[in-house]
Amino acid sequence: MLTWAIPTYTPAYPGYGASPALVPNVAVGIMLFMACLSLVRIGLAIYMNKPLCDEEREFPEDLEQGSGFTQVGRVKISHLARIMIPSVLLVVLIEYIGYMLASFAFLMTLQYVIGNRKWVQSIVVSVVLTVVLYIVMRYGFGVPVPGPQFF
Amino acid sequence: MEMIIAGLLDSISPASLMFVFIGVAIGVLIGAIPGINGPMAIALFIPVTYYMSALTAIGFLVGLNKGAFFGGAVSAVLLRTPGTPEAAATSWDGYPLTQQGKGEKALRMALYSSVAGDFISTVVLILIAAPLAAVALFMGPPEIFALISLALTVIAGIGTSSICRGLVAAGFGILVGLVGTEPVTALPRLTFDVYQFGSGLSLIPVAIGLLAFSEILLQLEKFTVKGGGTHIVNVFSSKIEDRLLSFKEFFANKRTLLRGSLIGIGVGAMPGLGAPVASFMSYDQAMKRSKNKEEFGKGSLEGIGASESANSAVVAASMIPLFVLGIPGNLAVAMLMGAFMIHGMQPGPLMFQENAQLMYGIYGSLLLASLFLLLIGRFGLRFFCKAVNIPAMILYPIVVFTCIMGSYLGKSSMFDVGVMLAFGFIGYFMRKFDYSYVAFLIGFILAPEWERALQQVVIISEYDTYMFFQRPVAMILMGLALFVIVRTFWNGIKGGRKKQVEAAAAAAGQHKGD
Repeated sequence: MLTWAIPTYTPAYPGYGASPALVPNVAVGIMLFMACLSLVRIGLAIYMNKPLCDEEREFPEDLEQGSGFTQVGRVKISHLARIMIPSVLLVVLIEYIGYMLASFAFLMTLQYVIGNRKWVQSIVVSVVLTVVLYIVMRYGFGVPVPGPQFF
Repeated sequence: MEMIIAGLLDSISPASLMFVFIGVAIGVLIGAIPGINGPMAIALFIPVTYYMSALTAIGFLVGLNKGAFFGGAVSAVLLRTPGTPEAAATSWDGYPLTQQGKGEKALRMALYSSVAGDFISTVVLILIAAPLAAVALFMGPPEIFALISLALTVIAGIGTSSICRGLVAAGFGILVGLVGTEPVTALPRLTFDVYQFGSGLSLIPVAIGLLAFSEILLQLEKFTVKGGGTHIVNVFSSKIEDRLLSFKEFFANKRTLLRGSLIGIGVGAMPGLGAPVASFMSYDQAMKRSKNKEEFGKGSLEGIGASESANSAVVAASMIPLFVLGIPGNLAVAMLMGAFMIHGMQPGPLMFQENAQLMYGIYGSLLLASLFLLLIGRFGLRFFCKAVNIPAMILYPIVVFTCIMGSYLGKSSMFDVGVMLAFGFIGYFMRKFDYSYVAFLIGFILAPEWERALQQVVIISEYDTYMFFQRPVAMILMGLALFVIVRTFWNGIKGGRKKQVEAAAAAAGQHKGD
């Protein structure tokens, strides 16, 4: 960020006020400084063969109590893929096959992925939700639904 | 006086009344569902408020937040699974009562305590916000810059066990908040030649992604990885004395309720602490001062009252820093600040001059929301109890799809849906690696204001770097920001050393035992 993105994508200094690059540089500087500080502390703890304190753990799930706001733990890539891939596909496909079909397919897939094997229930939820949101957007807010309209 | 009357009349217009009522009802329903909380609900519903007037929109969102705070108690009492973090202390006494068949009585105590705390806090907000804002008007750009710096350092500690990670998250939030048009040159900055970034990243997709979508990604792990589900036990006893709460039982706890409300107001007015702190602090004080200490944790109505009055008092009190200084004290208020900005207002002391009628209208809506909470909670209790049992396999797909369509609704743009998914993905990793998404969001919201204040300081001072030394308030605020960072680091080092000594002592003890 400091060597490429900020210099490349920030306007030149206009000659008055603070430089447009100042605050982005400060923000990245804070991130870099804090990351370096954490690294030094972890490095020192490892070098001196001492157990890591709470702040230095990469995965604080080992703590007796979490921070209360975060659900820390190891990343489950397969789970993430099972939710993210249908969501990204919805964004792409909705432009080609339209809102109704893409939304129905997405909701059916999502329910299958999270383990709902009751087909009738899945179909009812998918159809009702797709239609209700269509009505709310189209007639409630007057917003055109995304993608081509086949119906 | 005319402004006050006009504002209050606006708040009782049919549209305003209806949306405050709907907001409270949806808030209670959403708060009752474990895993969905007030800020998340606000993020999901902000797009809907695009189509409302400013007063109706803010009234609706405030109602949503107030409702969600009480709703959190429903699942805390019935399932011992707090719907919101601040309801955790409520579950300690609420769930034992549910096991005794007195779940309805516990919920009634939670409701009345919530309404009492909320009402007292709203009255305090109304009485002190405007006079404090008048004082805050004397603050110039250096003070505002220093104040935002202090707020960011205080808030960096929320939602993470490490201030290092909190400040990294806040820095990242500031960086993302700077994407768009640079204020002095009016040229694009950090847009990576993507024209949609030209107007900056909208709050709605970023907030929905970080708050709602990433949370659902985590919640869904239980289903794709483990499988799970919970059902409530017997809540509604047939005995009338187990179901209803008498005036005597309620007013026996009046001191606890008042103390809880005052703790909630104090905690809420300070940026960065939040409702869970108020709730635990009030519970602790109630237990220490109670004549029936032994009942705490086994089904004490006093314990429920202490927790609920304090956490509900935070809702209105947390608006004090927003209205007085333009600084959001917690996540829900940060979302409300976003809603104000979407409707063309900059929260802060000038609101009382520029939008006085609207401010009094908001006060009216806040009071009405308390009244509606009482009515909706009183008559809809059984219905909301059923919400706890909505199968997650139906609920979560609905929430995911609402996240997607909610992001689209703001600008009718699928690009925003992509932004929401990207921030959902980032939020998932932030939560997993304990980086505070609260600090990120507040950094994101405050970044433009922080930069504007800095630019004003530089231009007004004509590059005089000693300007801060001539402004004592700014100096004190910057000193406090530095103190917060140094103190947090020092506590972290001390805590780490203590744990190391304890671990070494434990290892030595074990070795001796062998």
